[in-house]
Amino acid sequence: MKTVKSFVLVAPLALIALAPAAAQEFSKELIEKGRYLATASDCVACHTNHDGGKPMAGGLPMASPVGTIMSTNITPSKEFGIGSYSEAQFSDAVRKGIRADGANLYPAMPYVSYSNMKDEDIHALYAYFMQGVEPVDEKAMETKLPFPMNIRASMIGWNMLFRPNETHKDDPTQSAEWNRGKYLAEGAAHCSTCHTPRGIFMQEQKSLNLTGGQVGPWYAPDITNDKVHGIGTWSQEDLVTYLKTGKLDNKAQAAGSMAEAISYSLQHLTDADLNAIATYVRSVPSTKAGETTGATRFDKGTADNDMAAFRGRDYADGLKGDHAGAQIFAANCASCHGYNAQGTKDGYYPSLFHNAATAGDNSINVISAILNGVDRHTEAGHVFMPPFGDQVNAVVQLNNVEVASLSNYLLAQYGNDKLKVTPEDVQVIREGGPKSNMIQLARIGLAGGAAAVAFLLAGFIWYRARRKKPSVLSE
Amino acid sequence: MTRQSKDPNGTLMMSRRGILLGGATLFAGTLAAALCPTLSLAAVDAGTQGQFMKLSNLLIQHQLSPAVGARIADTASGEYKKLPQMLDAIIAIAEKKNAVQVEDFFADIPDGELKDFAHWVISAWYSGCSSEKRNATVFTYEEALTFKTTSDVVTIPSYGISGPNLWTRPNLPLSAPMPRF
Amino acid sequence: MVTKNSADVVIVGTGVVGVVIAEQLLDAGHSVLMIEAGPRVTRAEVVENWRNAPLGVKGDTSVAYPSRLWAPHPMGGEKPEDAYLQFTGPDAYDQTFIRYAGGSTWHWAGTSWRLTPEDMRLNSLYGVGRDWAFDYDTLEPYYVRTEHKLGICGPSDRSQQWPQTGDRSAPYPMPALPFSPGEVRFTEVVKTLGYNNIPVAQARNSGMPYDGRPACCANNNCVPVCPVAAKYDAETALHRLEKKGATLLVDSVVYKVETNAQNKIEAVHFYDQHKETHRITGKLFVLACNGLENPKLLLMSKDDRNPNGVANSSDQVGRNMMDHPARTFTVTTKDPFWSGVGPVVNSGIMETSQGAFRSEHAGAYFRYNNFARNRFVTFAALKKGLVGKALDDEIRRMAACTADIVAAHEILPDPNNRLTLSDKKDWLGLPKPSINYDVGDYVRKSWEAYSQPIGKQIAEAMGAVDIKISPKFNNSKHIMGGTIMGKDASNSVVDVDCRAHDHENLFIPGGGAMAAGACGNSTITMTALALKAGDAIVEQMRGA
Repeated sequence: MKTVKSFVLVAPLALIALAPAAAQEFSKELIEKGRYLATASDCVACHTNHDGGKPMAGGLPMASPVGTIMSTNITPSKEFGIGSYSEAQFSDAVRKGIRADGANLYPAMPYVSYSNMKDEDIHALYAYFMQGVEPVDEKAMETKLPFPMNIRASMIGWNMLFRPNETHKDDPTQSAEWNRGKYLAEGAAHCSTCHTPRGIFMQEQKSLNLTGGQVGPWYAPDITNDKVHGIGTWSQEDLVTYLKTGKLDNKAQAAGSMAEAISYSLQHLTDADLNAIATYVRSVPSTKAGETTGATRFDKGTADNDMAAFRGRDYADGLKGDHAGAQIFAANCASCHGYNAQGTKDGYYPSLFHNAATAGDNSINVISAILNGVDRHTEAGHVFMPPFGDQVNAVVQLNNVEVASLSNYLLAQYGNDKLKVTPEDVQVIREGGPKSNMIQLARIGLAGGAAAVAFLLAGFIWYRARRKKPSVLSE
Repeated sequence: MTRQSKDPNGTLMMSRRGILLGGATLFAGTLAAALCPTLSLAAVDAGTQGQFMKLSNLLIQHQLSPAVGARIADTASGEYKKLPQMLDAIIAIAEKKNAVQVEDFFADIPDGELKDFAHWVISAWYSGCSSEKRNATVFTYEEALTFKTTSDVVTIPSYGISGPNLWTRPNLPLSAPMPRF
Repeated sequence: MVTKNSADVVIVGTGVVGVVIAEQLLDAGHSVLMIEAGPRVTRAEVVENWRNAPLGVKGDTSVAYPSRLWAPHPMGGEKPEDAYLQFTGPDAYDQTFIRYAGGSTWHWAGTSWRLTPEDMRLNSLYGVGRDWAFDYDTLEPYYVRTEHKLGICGPSDRSQQWPQTGDRSAPYPMPALPFSPGEVRFTEVVKTLGYNNIPVAQARNSGMPYDGRPACCANNNCVPVCPVAAKYDAETALHRLEKKGATLLVDSVVYKVETNAQNKIEAVHFYDQHKETHRITGKLFVLACNGLENPKLLLMSKDDRNPNGVANSSDQVGRNMMDHPARTFTVTTKDPFWSGVGPVVNSGIMETSQGAFRSEHAGAYFRYNNFARNRFVTFAALKKGLVGKALDDEIRRMAACTADIVAAHEILPDPNNRLTLSDKKDWLGLPKPSINYDVGDYVRKSWEAYSQPIGKQIAEAMGAVDIKISPKFNNSKHIMGGTIMGKDASNSVVDVDCRAHDHENLFIPGGGAMAAGACGNSTITMTALALKAGDAIVEQMRGA
């Protein structure tokens, strides 16, 4: 049944296919509209190697639990990019995850979200990619995944199950702003790609929309309007400020993939669109059961320090015993965040209490912020917290025991004191997040010839988390 | 007899205040000892710690960290053999003067051992150290009161004060208010 | 290929000079082995060492860097007879440097004044000292590379840059840092006297991250350690070098440079911390231990072929020891200046270092020290016996209304200012360095006739109610000379590429090679010389 439905849906799209790009000149207005949509869709974040690569020329390695995926060249280069794509082929790639040669894309490409995009917007995007992007005649590195993930056809079954095949339809009971917001948030801006938890086949669990999910070494938190677990305490202005700057004083700041989304995409959107997104996101209720009262992740902890335990004594002694976490905090964090973790008066360096990073429902972002730092470009400048992992530019390379000890101090003193971090937890984040055992399962499945094979093959992660070290500059 | 001690209301007031202050600092000292296992191993008992904080609060009208106070009291007990008696003696002088601030009673502390000790306590809180010397014991760096007197303008060295290149500030005159601490 | 006991290029020392050369060689595909006498520590440890030090000794640059038994370096508070450096002569060559992986840039201020074209032609123009073996235009591209390699910020306005003479072929990679209230006022005050107090070019990330290091957030702690690595120090490069394939041996004290029958360098020998000896061979050797340890090592390495020491046929090794002799004016003013916001050295008057007077006496560079004053004034205020509000007010007044103005002088290379091997031995049994030193009439005359009057004039213009002047010349900790550069092998140690005249595969780059040091801090010039030497080594290795 599903197979049939799929084909039925594909057919009308094929009919509206337009002539290849070379045959026509697109208007400047259309190209600019496409440029804006490409920004909203954050194409550049993945399709550019930010360590010296050319825009949209691909070659960015992206870690996934099943192996490293390389982004592709989507410049209009005829040989190495998408210059010979017809609009229909382009549309299929963006909305269905199918390449011009018929092969399936891995869902590292968020076509599940883009599938809601309207034909007219696909048309504008096409115009932009054909005539608004500089062609780069360079071959991007190819993705080489281990068997059986290297069989792209494995995505067919997955797509049948999990790819929506409908473009956005306005809900007449809601405002135009809300509808615009939903269109962007669920589509181009692909919020749910990270903020919605994944099911057993790594599909978005739409019933738990925006209630939080792990993204490689980071956790994209609950952004429903739940007043305890979500962002229900944020005003419209709060959320718009955050989307524009990546920061909300005494509440939260964007790191990891969200920092990229803000740097490359969200801060460039119009105020009207950011307000539309905020209006929609603030209307999404939580479907997750949980306490309905209590402190949010934005208002836990107070200013304090534990330095009397070791000040004036030998540093090596301070690293031993009960106050190791406090000592590591003093030596590595307090220089910017303050000896009471109070941040700077101007708020540039955030306090570590009243901070979502230390007070979330899990410890992923505490560990990841320590190991990976923060790297965000906005109009206010380049926000950069150096990493403390095994990067060559780590200010200090902290080991797993030290990071665990520091995390536990931060959680207990300034954040969610119910959480505990082990060195093993740190190692998982150091390696880029949990690994999937899907390859093993799939291989076993193939050997057994089980019907589940197709689904297991299909179960794929398309996390945008990068293996690249975001804060390293090489000479 | 001083004028205050003849005044029954004054005496009553002083006593109540003394009890409250003593109780609060005693509690703070005990709390610090309980919260800091390493500190509770110190030679100083909770009672002496409490008295030390009480004296410190008489000598210095600022917020004082009990954890830092416990460190200072610990060193004081090593350097001043008669620490409990000295604490009691100076506190008694202050109480006799119904003191609410150091200016009310400091001149009454006799020169010599007691006065030197009072200066040492003040110096310890302001400098964070037992002396100016190379071999001084360090109780605190960050919470040394010297830095609080300039905290509206000056960095506590090694701690940042603002976002990148955002530290431009006016040249405050001496008439500008002292930071509250 | 690199092993634990051999590499294409063996570099002794892991400070800025060794590190930039190592990276050039690694990038050119050569194997590199670096040998460091001292330990490798984390920034966390150094920062906490400093915070744990008593307030009264926080001004002691070495306090955060305790020396190891096998790698002694000058520490504060030592008895003269126990100290590592031994002194003779009228002035003490009392330097501070550290033998740690990353070297003494750990605690430099980051100040990066270029030399001027005139500084490099002292003899031709003024008939004193030595000319450099090449001119400013030769050095200029290496200054630019240094500014980009280390991340040196500075003003884009040409009138605010140094030097005013000579071309600048590229802008600074980052803008100048903002001034503290005291620096703003000082600049205004000296302007009334006709002096320009200009932003220091400094190796510090200004307003942005650079080279993977964060932006400065005004920790006011450049000396003795930047807690966030916003200031360049060579430690920040060590992990990168290792990733590129460098081998780094620490706690390994090189005590001998071995020559072969062709009088080329065959190997270096080191003691480990257990006093065991090891021998390291290579095709080419770089001594990157700066102007004090380099001459010591060369003198210790004397052999039958080199009876005065390696690279010392000229008898110039250890001679011409230079620094920037300094006097400090501690000025108490009526109205506040307020130091202690931003980097510790952030501006300076450089134009007073130049002029026709240099045929008679030294020039001087005046700088306003921007250290937070609490550590200098707290005990003085406490000693006044004040309590309560009066004590608070006095500390605040003294912190706001006192300032240190430093006059740093140019010194001439004098062969009698000489490092020799002392009879006293260190823990390993190696001779301690002994330095005979006299700042000389050129400096003294400047102080009497030129710099002291200017300093007093500035202090008075600042509204001084009290001026205290340091009673003798202090050292600026800018070690220069010792392995001086020249074209003539009979009166210099190294050639224009810092290659030893006596040994074609031995390079001795850094401050020791500087033939004249003018008034500005030496590190930028040391690093420029290192990059120039690195180019020469890459070229030479091509033929190897």
